[in-house]
Amino acid sequence: MKRSKIILSLILSIVMAISLLAGCGGNETTTTTAAPADTTTTTAAPDDTDETTTGDEGGDGYAGDLTLMHFSTSEESEGNGGSDGFRTVIAQWEEANPDITLKQTVLANDEYKTQVATLASAGDLPDVFLLQGMNTKSWAEQGLIMDMTDVIKDSPHYADYNQAYFTPFTDGDKLYGLPVLTGGTCTVIVYDKAAWAEAGFEEFPKTWDEVKEANEYFTANGYKESIAFGNSGKWQMNSCFLSTLGDRFTGPEWFQSIIDKGGAAFTDEPFVEALDYTGMLFQSGVFNDDFNAINNEDAREYYISGETPAFIGGNWDVSYIGATLLETDPELYENTGFAVLPQPEGATGSENSQNIGLGYAVAINSKLAEDEAKLAAAIDLAYYVTGPEFASYVAENYALGGLTQVSNVDLSAFDQFTQDFYNYSYVDTNACEIYDSYVSPAVWDVLNTELQNLTNGDTDGATVAQLTQEAYEANY
Amino acid sequence: MLTRRPPLRILIGYLLIPLALYVFAVFIPLITAAFYSMFEWKGGPNKTFTGIANYIALIQDKIFWLSFSHNLYLILLCVIGQVGVAFVFVMMINTRFVKLKSIHRTFGFFPSTIAAVYVGFIWLMIYDSRRGILNWFLELIGREDLTQVWLNNTDLVMTLVSIPLIWQYIGYYMLILLSATSSIDKEIFESAELDGANAFQRSIHIVLPMIKNTVIVCLVLCVSGNMKAFDNIYVMTAGGPGNNSMVLAMYGYKVSFAQQNMGYGSAISVGIFVLGLLVIGGMQLVSNKLSKD
Repeated sequence: MKRSKIILSLILSIVMAISLLAGCGGNETTTTTAAPADTTTTTAAPDDTDETTTGDEGGDGYAGDLTLMHFSTSEESEGNGGSDGFRTVIAQWEEANPDITLKQTVLANDEYKTQVATLASAGDLPDVFLLQGMNTKSWAEQGLIMDMTDVIKDSPHYADYNQAYFTPFTDGDKLYGLPVLTGGTCTVIVYDKAAWAEAGFEEFPKTWDEVKEANEYFTANGYKESIAFGNSGKWQMNSCFLSTLGDRFTGPEWFQSIIDKGGAAFTDEPFVEALDYTGMLFQSGVFNDDFNAINNEDAREYYISGETPAFIGGNWDVSYIGATLLETDPELYENTGFAVLPQPEGATGSENSQNIGLGYAVAINSKLAEDEAKLAAAIDLAYYVTGPEFASYVAENYALGGLTQVSNVDLSAFDQFTQDFYNYSYVDTNACEIYDSYVSPAVWDVLNTELQNLTNGDTDGATVAQLTQEAYEANY
Repeated sequence: MLTRRPPLRILIGYLLIPLALYVFAVFIPLITAAFYSMFEWKGGPNKTFTGIANYIALIQDKIFWLSFSHNLYLILLCVIGQVGVAFVFVMMINTRFVKLKSIHRTFGFFPSTIAAVYVGFIWLMIYDSRRGILNWFLELIGREDLTQVWLNNTDLVMTLVSIPLIWQYIGYYMLILLSATSSIDKEIFESAELDGANAFQRSIHIVLPMIKNTVIVCLVLCVSGNMKAFDNIYVMTAGGPGNNSMVLAMYGYKVSFAQQNMGYGSAISVGIFVLGLLVIGGMQLVSNKLSKD
C-alpha cells in the first residue's frame, strides 16, 4: 500500500513536470517542422567564352556571383503552383545565363521572414530577395532597397503587368519591387447558374436591387435566402466583403492614401457610405439570418447542399466547394459560376473589382547600383521570374496567375469550373486591395468587431468609422 | 516509514523544486507583464517607455469593463448553476430512492473530463439555428415562434455561452460535495427523520451547515475558475457578436496577439490579476464572516 502510494506520487510528479516542460516547449515544436535551409549553389563555369548565346538574355555580359534569397523550398513546391513555377523559372534563367553563378538561399517561409529581417537590420541583404509588402516603407526609408520605378517602366512586359498588384510595394510615387508568385481572390460570388436562371437571371445580377428582386423569387420557392455568408470569425466580413465593396465606393486612391497616411480617413464620406450599405445589405434578408453565428466553412455547406443558391467567400472556399461538389453533386459542379459583387447604387469608385493580391515582390539590394553589370543581371532575373514564362507555367499547370497577364492561355486541359475561376480571378475582373494585408491588425480587429454590430443593426456606419479611425490614429 | 529524518539541507533542497517551478511559472511572468505594461510595445524589437499611460487607457477602456461585467455575470450564473445545482443533485443522490449511486457519480463527472474546446463545439451544434437540436426541439413542441439564431442574440449570448460551462462542471462540484456529505454521521439523519424533518429541511438545516467549509472551497474554486473563462467562449462566439460575449482573458489575448499590442495587453493582464484578487479576496471576506457565525 505504502509502496503503491510512493509510486503513484512519483508518477504524478513526473507527469506534472512533463506537462510543465511541454507547456514551455510548445512554441518551438511548430518551428522545428519547417524545412531546413537548403542552400543550392550552381556550379556554372566562371569562364565567359560564350557571350553571343547569353547576349539577348540580358546580364550584359556579367559573369560572377549573384545571391538570391527566397522561400520556395522543394517541399513547398509540391502542390503549390506558385512555388513550383518560381523554382522552374529560376532553373530556366540559370540555364540561359551560364556565366552567372546564382547562389540561392532557400528557407521555409517562417524562417525566411526572420532571416531577411535580420539581414536587413544588419544592412547585409542579398542581391535579390523577396520583399514583403508591409516592409516596403521602412526599408525604402532606410535605403536598403533599390528604387525600381524606372526599371519597372522599362520592363519588356510592362504593358502586361497587372498594375493593381504594385500597391503594397509602392511608397509615394516610387515602386520598390516586382510582385512575384501567384495571387488568389478573397471575394467571389459562387452561384448556381441553373437556380438563378429560374429566377430570371441568365447571369448573376449586376445590381443589388436585382439581387433583392431575385431574393423574393427564391424565398417564395423553397430557399431561405439568396446568398450564404459566414462571419462568426469576424474577419470574413472584412476580407471577403467590405474590402471589395469599399473599393466600389472609395476607389483605390483612398486606400492608397490610408496606407501612406496621406490624409485619407476611415471617416471619409465614401467609406462611411460603404459601411452603411454593408449594414443595409445584411439587414435586407438577402443573406442567411445566422451569418454572424456561423463560419465560412458552415456557410459554404449551405451552397454545397443546395440549400442556398449562392455563396460569398475566398479562393480557399472555391477549392473546397469544387473538390466537394465533384464528388457529391457533379450537376451543381457543372452549373457553378463565379461573379463579382454587384455594383451598389450610388457607388462611384470602381467597377467590376474583386480583391486579389500578391504578398511578395522581387526587390533588389540598393548596393547593386555600384556595379552596373551585376545590376543588369539582377534586373534581368527579376523580369524573368515575374514575366510571361512564369505566368504561362502556372496558368497551364495550375490555372493560377501572377503579375504578368498572359493572353491565350491554353486552359483546355482544365474543366469548365477551373477555367471559369481562372478567368474570374485574372482575366475578367479588376483587382483591388485586400484591406488587411496592410496597415495594422489593431485597426482591423476593431473594425471587424464593429462590423458584427453594424450588420446586426446595432450601430451605424458613422460610429464604426469613428472607432476604426481612432484605432488607426493610435496604432499606425 | 523512514527510519531517520533526512538532513535539513536535503529537505530544503527538495522543497525548493516546487518553489522554483512556481516562481518560474507564475511569479516571473507576472513581474515581466508588470514591466512590459509600462511600454508601448507593438511587437518587434522596439519598445517605448510610456509609464502609466497604458493603465490610464485601461481605466477608460469601455471594452475592458464590459468584459469584467460579463465575467461577473458568468460567476453569478456559475455559482448558482454549478455549485447550487450540484448541491441539489447531491441531495437527490443521497436519498434512499436513487439506485446505482456510483453510476450517477461517474456519469455526472464525465463532462468535466472533456476539454472545454470540445464542449464549446458540442454546444455550438446544439445552438445551431438550422441543424441544432434546440430549434428542432422547439419546432417539435410547436413553438416555432421561439426559434432564432441563438448565438447572434446580443441579450442572450452571455447566458448561452455560460450554459456549457455550467453543464460541464456540475459533476465536478457534485463529487466534492458528495465526499463531504459522506462523512456526515448517518445517525443525525435518522434522528432528524424521526423528529419529522422533511428532505428539504434536512438539507438546509443539517447538511449545509455541516459541509459549509467545503461549500466555501467550492465557491472560491468556482469564482477563480470563471475569472479565467476563455476556451469554450472563444470557440463558440470569439466574443461576438461585437463584444457581447467578450470576457477578460479573451480581451487580453485579443489585444496582445490579434492586435499585436503587447504593452497594452500586459497592462490588461495585470488588470485581470488585480481584479481577480479583489473578487476572490472579497469572496473570502464574506466566507470568513459566514464561517464564523
